[in-house]
Amino acid sequence: MGIRDKGLEIRLDAVQRRFGERIVIDGLTTRFDAGEFITIVGRSGCGKSTLLRLLAGLDAAQGGQLDADGRPLKEAIDDVRIMYQDARLLPWRSVVNNVALGLAGKRDTVRALALEALSQVGLVDRADEWPGNLSGGQRQRVALARALVHRPRLLLLDEPLGALDALTRIEMHRLIERIWREHRFTAVLVTHDVSEAVVLADRILLIEDGRIVLDQSVELARPRARGDAAFARLEGQVLDRLLTVRTLEQRNQIRGRVSAIRTGDVLAEVEVEITDHEGRRDKVISTLTLRNLREHALEVGSEVLTVFKPNDVALALVDVDDNTATPLRTGERAVA
Amino acid sequence: MHETAISWQRTAISWQRLKTGIRQRLRGHGALPWLVPVLILTVWQVTVQAGWLSTRILPAPWAVVAAGWELLLSGELLEHLGASTARAASGFVIGGGIGFFFGLINGGYRLAENLFDTTLQMVRNVPHLALIPLVILWFGIGEEGKLFLVALGVFFPIYLNTFHGIRSVSPDLIEMGRSYGLRGWALFRQVILPGALPNILVGVRYALGFTWLTLIVAETISATSGIGYMAMNAREFLQTDVVVLAILLYAALGKAADMVARALERRWLRWNKSFLAA
Repeated sequence: MGIRDKGLEIRLDAVQRRFGERIVIDGLTTRFDAGEFITIVGRSGCGKSTLLRLLAGLDAAQGGQLDADGRPLKEAIDDVRIMYQDARLLPWRSVVNNVALGLAGKRDTVRALALEALSQVGLVDRADEWPGNLSGGQRQRVALARALVHRPRLLLLDEPLGALDALTRIEMHRLIERIWREHRFTAVLVTHDVSEAVVLADRILLIEDGRIVLDQSVELARPRARGDAAFARLEGQVLDRLLTVRTLEQRNQIRGRVSAIRTGDVLAEVEVEITDHEGRRDKVISTLTLRNLREHALEVGSEVLTVFKPNDVALALVDVDDNTATPLRTGERAVA
Repeated sequence: MHETAISWQRTAISWQRLKTGIRQRLRGHGALPWLVPVLILTVWQVTVQAGWLSTRILPAPWAVVAAGWELLLSGELLEHLGASTARAASGFVIGGGIGFFFGLINGGYRLAENLFDTTLQMVRNVPHLALIPLVILWFGIGEEGKLFLVALGVFFPIYLNTFHGIRSVSPDLIEMGRSYGLRGWALFRQVILPGALPNILVGVRYALGFTWLTLIVAETISATSGIGYMAMNAREFLQTDVVVLAILLYAALGKAADMVARALERRWLRWNKSFLAA
């Protein structure tokens, strides 16, 4: 195994990406070791997919540095392959020709390479079918083979299992883990499924508002059993952290005190008085359901954190002792 | 009495069997769709033969067949058929080629779209057959005018559908192609063109329809060969059988062209489930 087959070592230094005024990736600094399996978790809109697109070279950073093996990542971009949420197979090409996409060389050699990659994902018997005849899980396996055939040194996975059923996901976890152990590439998986992250990762990164707020290494032996106590504990920790809103140093959050609660038959309006560090005052109103209100110890005078989202004002109850806050689920209005 | 009842029942059963038998046979051999046309032809032949319908108005179907046979033997039919087909083909290639070219560049480049699309959309709204007087002034009554008209008729369906086809290729697939190292010509040939092909072929089918429509009109203005010329000539001599023959030939040619287009669709779009059944 030559140096060519080893995973890329990635360094990110103060990487920034803005869309207009909105900062999506905010001075992100971290390092992925060669051959490491990283999973990135976070709520939707936290910037995790944007980070992956930066790593794939599909999007350019506006500040900071992305390096691979000490050189700019751009120069190593041919060693990077990405798997998307949907398989993105070309429907007019047979399965084997989809896998061969972008391979140069003699027809026979290319086909042999593609067939070999297909056999690794167990689909060699479907090689000459149209992608339209495959199930969702099979399509993602073809997409995996298409990425593998290029012998990537950095494989990026952008929630590739999100649309699959639970059983197929578990099969895919095993497949991805086996292939990663064989090829030793560096893998970066973006997911919103914490248990998926714990199954696969050497390290779990939690991203919130474009920054890494948790960097948790996973020391469990592979292959990992979901029922295991240590597994469950770790999964619980990460989930808790994911549900907890950080209280300090956030640009879109302000602390305040409940000044009035007006209840109707179904909804409740909570008026919060906000004071900034210069002593200026303002008032903001957040709406939640009456049922939701009763579940929390929210009363006039409670200390809360107001979180400003693009179309919503959410509240979180502040625990003064450890300076964390538990969100009131106002965002989940779709749930009856 | 009891026995009579049984024999009635038997008759009823065998009648039922006969009916389903006929139905199955018609369906099994694909003959059912042809039942109505055959019926119409028979009624037509009978009414003309009985003298209820003047041959000046409509010749008997058999007379049309006979006229066709006669013209085939004299070689005239093939000559006219060849002339018309050559006009249709060259007009289609010229107009379709230009339409395809503009569809590609306007679909692929914003600058080209901004530059040309508005102009083309304005020209599109002129019915091309309305240009006939002008075309005669420009090109005279020779071949060029006819080619020009056919090409113009073919241009727009090909242009519009190619343009739309290129635009409707999924940006996700293009992005995927790029991230797998495809650039320029390779990206176009492997991702963009196949993605646009279903639309382009719809354009081809429309264009073929326009080709024959334009040709019918163009050949009746002034020509010395072609099916249209044959029809106009026959009108002068009150040969209604040849006129009807010409009309039927146009229909057959149109159908043949459509079958070619369908065959192309089945060949090139076999990955697409909706074309497998067709």
